[in-house]
Amino acid sequence: MNVLDLARLQFAVTGSLHFLFVVLTLGLAPLVAIMQTRHAITGRPIFARMTRFWGQIYVINYALGIFTGLVMEFQFGLSWSGLTHYAGDVFGAPLAIETLVAFFLESTFLGLWIFGWNRLPKGLHLACIWLVTLTAYASAFWIMAANSFLQNPVGSVLRDGRLVLTDFGALLTNPTFVMALPHVLGAGMFAGSFVIIGASAYHLFRRTAEQEFFRRSLRTGVVWAFIGSTLTIGFGYAQFGFIGALQPHKFEGVLPGLALGLMITIGQLTQFAVMLVLLPLLIRDVLARARWLHPILMLMTPLPFVAAILGWLTREVGRQPWLIYGRLGVADAMTPGLTKGMVTLSFAAFAGVLGLLALVDYLLIARTVRRGPGQADLGAPAPDGPGRAAAPALSL
Amino acid sequence: MEIIWLAVLAVLLVGYFALEGFDIGLGMMLPALARARERAGEPGTRQDHRDLLVAGMAPFVLANEVWLVALAGTLVGAFPALEGPLLGGLYPLVVALLVAWILRDAGLWFRRRIDGPGWRACWDAVLCAGSWGLALTWGAILAAVVRGLPAQPFDLAGLLGGAVVAAVFTLHGRAFAAWRLPPAGGASRLLLTGVLAGLPAAASLAVTAGHVLGHAASPATLNVLGFIALPVTPILVAAQVWVWRTFRPARSTGAAARVPSFF
Repeated sequence: MNVLDLARLQFAVTGSLHFLFVVLTLGLAPLVAIMQTRHAITGRPIFARMTRFWGQIYVINYALGIFTGLVMEFQFGLSWSGLTHYAGDVFGAPLAIETLVAFFLESTFLGLWIFGWNRLPKGLHLACIWLVTLTAYASAFWIMAANSFLQNPVGSVLRDGRLVLTDFGALLTNPTFVMALPHVLGAGMFAGSFVIIGASAYHLFRRTAEQEFFRRSLRTGVVWAFIGSTLTIGFGYAQFGFIGALQPHKFEGVLPGLALGLMITIGQLTQFAVMLVLLPLLIRDVLARARWLHPILMLMTPLPFVAAILGWLTREVGRQPWLIYGRLGVADAMTPGLTKGMVTLSFAAFAGVLGLLALVDYLLIARTVRRGPGQADLGAPAPDGPGRAAAPALSL
Repeated sequence: MEIIWLAVLAVLLVGYFALEGFDIGLGMMLPALARARERAGEPGTRQDHRDLLVAGMAPFVLANEVWLVALAGTLVGAFPALEGPLLGGLYPLVVALLVAWILRDAGLWFRRRIDGPGWRACWDAVLCAGSWGLALTWGAILAAVVRGLPAQPFDLAGLLGGAVVAAVFTLHGRAFAAWRLPPAGGASRLLLTGVLAGLPAAASLAVTAGHVLGHAASPATLNVLGFIALPVTPILVAAQVWVWRTFRPARSTGAAARVPSFF
């Protein structure tokens, strides 16, 4: 493996890890917001419990989204400075807007939501999770806009060897953006719903004390899965309409071809299963009572995640050997002076640390699921009685 | 327009040092501050004191560390020609900074996810080590930037930079803990250490400002960025102010003091 292969592999590994967590964040955020809204409207305790339990899974997952995202943001400069040198004027704008306008607010509001529980007025606390959701989706919007520019470099002209921004609007009406954004957001809902379905199936199968909680969660998950999978599939197929004209050789390589075929197989079969089996079985809660089905539902949990990674492999490997399609080759975009030793070291550090933390994170999510809603830390109220007021293990 | 974006860059960089500086400093001082509280006869075990200290900074960390993310974004968007040479020239330091940052954050996010003294003490150690890593690499990075990115940044000047940043951060972290924990007080001291924590960053930016200006994006790009970022700026400021209003010590008595912390 030469230095270019290593740098590409590093980007692919950290990018895939990032997306595994981001896709769940995007899928769970609106659901948690809806649960909290239902609690605000109805005042029923079950919705508060659902908000806390699924919210805790959402925030544990969120941590790895941040860690991997940090590496992604800095990796452009570390390994691919040719990209910002050549197209920074165009590609940099949506990235900058993402950090300033979207992620800055997302992180700030998430802190207010997590630590403002039982402190902020109820209405403002609810507003926080909606703002987190809104800014998370804004993040996805700008990142996808930047990525779509790499697939189909619109809105710019070459001047003195560098791309100059001429039409910002064209970045936002780029067909590879307009069709891919709902596809990705749908994939998020798809993945989020399958975590809810799998976790609910676990508790229903084990016949834990939380039957009502997970019957209801299962229903929510299946409806969400239906919306998400339909969006994903619809906007997935819609991309074939223009991809032949924009990137004619996209699926000709071995890896993109295989990844595309496998993604469609998984996505289509799973969508059929949701639409034709899971959704109808919600009638009279048959799905919640059909215990023999629950292990299958648990085993299906990773499917949307696998499909999502395959989708990214198709999109990004299919772009090769270009970094900016038709304009800048990947080899030409690598940071000058980058040595094999440097990339090996950083790859080992990033992959080792992030891989280990991802594993810990998934174990913590599994543990949260297993312990059930009774033991969620997130939004835990102050213990009763003044006797424990001085206990230093508490917050301020 | 370049001047405005240089100002944005300066605000984000100095703001990051002044705000995240106390989180990093508190993380570095976590064992020492916990021991000090124990020696002072405060009730609770050493782990309880660490929990209290971490809970004190927890509501601020997410709102503080994001200043650096925004800084990197601004660098890519408004000064793209600078981003590559800067990060490429600082390669080993930036990798070290990211690893330290991730470990510090992992310590925060994971420490309370499993009950039990071993688990929490382990992540507290990671938090502390990550915080030290952050301070030392930041010092070395500033020292390297001022000297025009030397090939070997791990030298005496780099160490000296690390020592300076570590010193101001620990002071700042200590001041924050004093302000945040009961008996809360010393707001002016916190302000002073905040200025002190921002100084190394401000100084290195002042030295390199001319160089930075020469690498701005085209006016068209800067206009687009300004057009989108400007209307949102009041919201960014309001969100930060909201964090400080919500979690200031005066609001942290009575029932609010008994709410368990998530970090």
